[in-house]
Amino acid sequence: MKNTKKIVIDPITRIEGHLRIEVEIDENNIVTEAWASGQLFRGIETILKGRDPRDAGLIAQRICGVCTNVHYRASISAVEDAYEIKIPHNAEIIRNLVTLSLFVQDHVVHYYHLHSLDFVDITSALNADLSKAAAEADLWSTRPYHNSATHLEAVKGKLEEFVKAGRLGLFANGYWGHSAYRLSPEENLVHMNHYLIALQIQRELSKAIAIFAGKTPHPQNLVVGGVTSVADMLNPQRLNDFLFIIKEVRDFIERAYIPDIMMLINAYRDSIGAGEGRTVGNFMCCGGYRFGKDQQLFEGGVIKGHDFETIEPFDPDKITEEASRSWYENDAPLSPYEGETKPFYTDLNDDGSLKTEGKYTWVKAPRYDGEVMEVGPLARMIVGYAKNSPVIRPYMERFMKRTGVELIDFSTTIGRNAARAVEAQICCDYLFDTMSDLIENIKYYDETTWTKFVFEELQSEARGAGIFEVPRGVLGHFVRIEDAKIANYQAVVPTTWNASPKGVKEGRGAYEESLIGIRLADPSAPLEVLRAVHSFDPCLACAVHVIDMKGRELSQYKIASVCSLG
Amino acid sequence: MRIVIVGGGIAAVYIANSLMERASELEVVIVSQEKHPPYDRIHLCKLLEGGNRADMIALELHPNVKLELDQKIISIDPHSKRVFSERAAFHYDKLILATGSVPKSLFDISGIENAATFRSQGDCERIAQGMVGKNVVIVGAGPIALELLDTLMRSDAPQSITLLVRKNYLYSEVISREALALIQGIFEADKRVRIQFNDQIIGKEISGNTITRLITSQREISNPFLIFGVGIDPNIAYARETLECSKGILVDERMRTSDENIYCVGEAAQLRAGEFIAGRVKECTLQADVAIANLLGDESKTFSEEVSIDGLKVGSFLFADVTATDFDPKESGNETILISHRDRIDQYIVNHDRLKRFIGINTNIDLLALKQLIQTDAPIDASYLYSNRLMSKYGRLVCSCEGVHELELVEIIKENAVTSFGELKEHSKAGRTCGRCKQDICAIIEATPVDPQEAARLKAEKAAAAQAAELEKVRARIEKYNRLHPLNQLNPKNFHEALKSFEMSREFNRWVSMITASMHLHPQFEESVNEAVMQLNKIPIIWLELSDCTGNSEAFIKTSHPKVDDLILKYISLDYHELLMAASGDQSESVLESILHNDSGKYLLIVEGAVPLGLDGKFLRIGPKGETGIDLLRRVAKDAVAVIAVGSCAYDGGVVAAAPNPTGAVGVAEALERNDIINLPGCPTNPINIVGTLLQYIMFDEFPKLDSRNRPEWAYGFRVHDNCERRGHYDAEEFVLEWGDEGAKKGWCLFEMGCKGPYADLNCSLVKFNEGTSWPVQAGHGCFACGQGKIAFDSYANNRKLEVENEK
Repeated sequence: MKNTKKIVIDPITRIEGHLRIEVEIDENNIVTEAWASGQLFRGIETILKGRDPRDAGLIAQRICGVCTNVHYRASISAVEDAYEIKIPHNAEIIRNLVTLSLFVQDHVVHYYHLHSLDFVDITSALNADLSKAAAEADLWSTRPYHNSATHLEAVKGKLEEFVKAGRLGLFANGYWGHSAYRLSPEENLVHMNHYLIALQIQRELSKAIAIFAGKTPHPQNLVVGGVTSVADMLNPQRLNDFLFIIKEVRDFIERAYIPDIMMLINAYRDSIGAGEGRTVGNFMCCGGYRFGKDQQLFEGGVIKGHDFETIEPFDPDKITEEASRSWYENDAPLSPYEGETKPFYTDLNDDGSLKTEGKYTWVKAPRYDGEVMEVGPLARMIVGYAKNSPVIRPYMERFMKRTGVELIDFSTTIGRNAARAVEAQICCDYLFDTMSDLIENIKYYDETTWTKFVFEELQSEARGAGIFEVPRGVLGHFVRIEDAKIANYQAVVPTTWNASPKGVKEGRGAYEESLIGIRLADPSAPLEVLRAVHSFDPCLACAVHVIDMKGRELSQYKIASVCSLG
Repeated sequence: MRIVIVGGGIAAVYIANSLMERASELEVVIVSQEKHPPYDRIHLCKLLEGGNRADMIALELHPNVKLELDQKIISIDPHSKRVFSERAAFHYDKLILATGSVPKSLFDISGIENAATFRSQGDCERIAQGMVGKNVVIVGAGPIALELLDTLMRSDAPQSITLLVRKNYLYSEVISREALALIQGIFEADKRVRIQFNDQIIGKEISGNTITRLITSQREISNPFLIFGVGIDPNIAYARETLECSKGILVDERMRTSDENIYCVGEAAQLRAGEFIAGRVKECTLQADVAIANLLGDESKTFSEEVSIDGLKVGSFLFADVTATDFDPKESGNETILISHRDRIDQYIVNHDRLKRFIGINTNIDLLALKQLIQTDAPIDASYLYSNRLMSKYGRLVCSCEGVHELELVEIIKENAVTSFGELKEHSKAGRTCGRCKQDICAIIEATPVDPQEAARLKAEKAAAAQAAELEKVRARIEKYNRLHPLNQLNPKNFHEALKSFEMSREFNRWVSMITASMHLHPQFEESVNEAVMQLNKIPIIWLELSDCTGNSEAFIKTSHPKVDDLILKYISLDYHELLMAASGDQSESVLESILHNDSGKYLLIVEGAVPLGLDGKFLRIGPKGETGIDLLRRVAKDAVAVIAVGSCAYDGGVVAAAPNPTGAVGVAEALERNDIINLPGCPTNPINIVGTLLQYIMFDEFPKLDSRNRPEWAYGFRVHDNCERRGHYDAEEFVLEWGDEGAKKGWCLFEMGCKGPYADLNCSLVKFNEGTSWPVQAGHGCFACGQGKIAFDSYANNRKLEVENEK
């Protein structure tokens, strides 16, 4: 342990939730070890126990206010799965329209508002030459978004005025001037322009979501058996409003988001080449989202060690969880009473640092076939490409051709962002296709949005799962019902996979692995660490969950076709 | 739900009407032992003045209340939830007992035709017929006896009237000698009247069913008509077997009896913690309000006795009485201070420099001021009382329940051209709580000439003056703000320049108008709002996320008017917000430190999320030192100019504190043990309510008017149900009965699908979400009252009607 130094970064900002990263660096400022730690425990599953299964959705939804719709949906789907209730096609479409709009909204907010300041130096943007900036944008798009010199001048003026007013607000004390910032003043200005526009884009998208879901965050349009927003569905004006918002958004993605990412790739080719931010190369997808005739948006499958030729089918029975390094009692013998394991907090060191030799996080460690996995847009794009998905491959090929990157290059900090941008573009087009499906359905007089069931007549013991691809990766909710009440509840969440701690076996979680080997230009301003971690789009409120001893063997949950496994 | 009210007086009617007003879907039944529809006992005397005046004292009853007359309740069966009269049984879900009291008599007068008590309309009819040509003997010395005496004096029917007083005082044992002499003189000016002190009935001669002669310790009275006005006992014989009773039926401070489904109010009730309260209508209505609130599920309301004010107009003189709750006539420290002038007497009873009671005759003292003096328990001295003996500037107190003075009333009458008691209703509640002063008010209305033109002029004048005063106040506050914040660099001159350069002045103006409207301010305030907006960006804001899901931050960045980019770049200085800020780790910590240090006492703190207290707060740790959430909160809240708790979790723990509350989570106010936290609950909170609250702070240098839960009234003073776009369907009883049914397609009411709009106070139905795109009711799902805090997640977050409603 000679000449190593520990750096604590807490709070990691511009993410959802309370995340701490600790890294150990050697004398050359190269990261040799890393620990990711979730610092908040709430216990939503404990709260769910004993409640009426029909009510799970509204509570489980509060797991996260960012991924807000997906927990609501997965929870209700798990209950429907347990009771073998098949929802009407219209209901599935409405749910998909809302979920996929959320994909796009999440991706846009993630890149511009939560992540871009790791690449964009706002102070440098003030030195931009306006006509040069406009020309710069022309390199990456035939029709760059809101790119006139006059518009850029207004943006620059706005920023100048803001800086002059003295209070930097959210932008105070950033890593401005750091040598790891590579974009030119002009490229920075183009990005800042889109940062501001993206704030409006995400607001527009939230209106689209609210059309069918009542509001966002925390929509309110789902019930066990279907959706409630039938009046909105039958209102042509609402469908029209939705389509035109998506149209506007797609315009932004094609003319701003994608070109900006290309600009980024160009500036960071050496980082991509060095594989900065790469994990061990295990990717997992469950696939899903039917549309048209037998088509589906995402492919399911598992890739190990960047072996793109060998794709195993995704088998949820191979998922296990452990907590040897997490703050739960994991060495208690299997309880005959099926009680959940209790939080077992072993505290921090006296100086506030993690006890890195023992338990160090509220996030538990999920494993697939005993292996650490990475989930999310990167996994979906790689698996989709590798499986020759007719939906995904054309978009990926176009992007790769334009930028000259290879498939392996996506498995980096920058590449993760590229995958996310391509996915946003695909999702927008999917929304149009899905809307056509809906209109087709309504046209032929299918107005059903709910499958009738009589709760009192359902079996009082049941178990089921709702497993979906959601913006940050694979999400599973698992429910066990006894005496018509929730006897046990568990959520296995994308960030739980990516922010996983170490386990009993050798190996690190994805965040941790992505940091190894990165060189910090200035250990007191660890911008490179933030950049790698942010590229996963962490969402910690989601990730922290009570682990149930029974939950270690998920195979006992029946996994049904309702979640459209690929 | 079926609610049965037993009783036939003011209390019963008040309860029934209030219930119908608050929840018109209820079934309310009044069961009364009287033959007459409910009437106002206070004005019984009017009946004795001859003529058919029964309708004058009849009480107005909501038309949907069912009335069962001549049903004397004899027992209750709480297990089967029924009450029984001799002839019928009535089922209830909730029972309210308001049976009042029965008058005492000194011997059994049943069957005797020339003796009566004075309590009911029947009694009055008996007295009016029976007293003609008789020597009337009234036994008693209290307010009832005196009012009766006063009434009978005005009739020619009695040959003589004797007031038989067992002791040596009238009205109250503490009354001054001077007052006593004054009252006695006024009464005995009528030659037929004789007041006999230290006297009582010691014998009687009865022939058949008539008393022919009464023998008192001082003389004999032949051809008498005897009336007992000696006092009352709670009327509770029917309840003694089933409910815990002492003198009255015992109730807790929520007016609940020993059975959870039975409430009792008024003279039949006795608080476990105290006495039973007789003859005070205001208390009775307060108790009724408490019982109603609890019965409808609001357990926050409790009853506690207040300082009482009583006014009694007896013929040619006026009684006024203010009594402290802890007044004890036997207390040795009591001293009397008497200030008298001609036929006016002000009697103060003081104990250790504290005012305990005031009895005034023909006084014009401001009784409300005295009430306040007693309530604040402030020390007083005699010279203060002397110098304050003059008329309050509004004249005498006419309605003690509502605190309306004579000149205020005259002003209201003139300004609104009021010509009848009925017309007064929309302008003042005077005379409508206990009703005792109704006749008095009618007389004032009659005596006040009105002119509609003049009324309009007065009204406009007053409105203008009020608005000018209000604007002046706003300006003064903005001036004060500018003094407090000298670094503010924007002013009206460069501000418009700045606006122009951002090409956003139109956007800005829209925002100003929207905020002005949603804060219920007059358009004239726009200018002030405009000025206030300029100040916003100079106030540093720290936004802490504790045990949260980031939902409120997500909602906040979806704000429009102003657009979020303008909001964070221009209008506010959001200096610390973990979701959005550029800096992390040590860098973000130093941002926080610098605000705490440089802007101490100036920055605003917004908190999102619950505060976990379990595990010594270690369920949440933030920052390089691993500070617990609660420690960080305490540190940052200490020097904040104000703390705003955003979202239901910050309000009372919200979903995080839902049963079994695994992390011991509480709201910000509870965690900090402070009662000055501004709460903006909601899951998430509508950004309009956050922005509006911030703006109000800038405008007024203080926060908006808050309700009892510290929520701004302008956002939380509405019931979702009352302003719901589907309310018309509720009223028309058009309900969605199954998801996706025809009613759902037509947007009918979701009440039957478990919508909790009736239990939610929030402005969602008015402002909606995501720029007014939709809200849960529009999406066909219904409301689950998410803004009510953790109770929403334990009781409302489902698609079923509340249990109480299911019983219906």
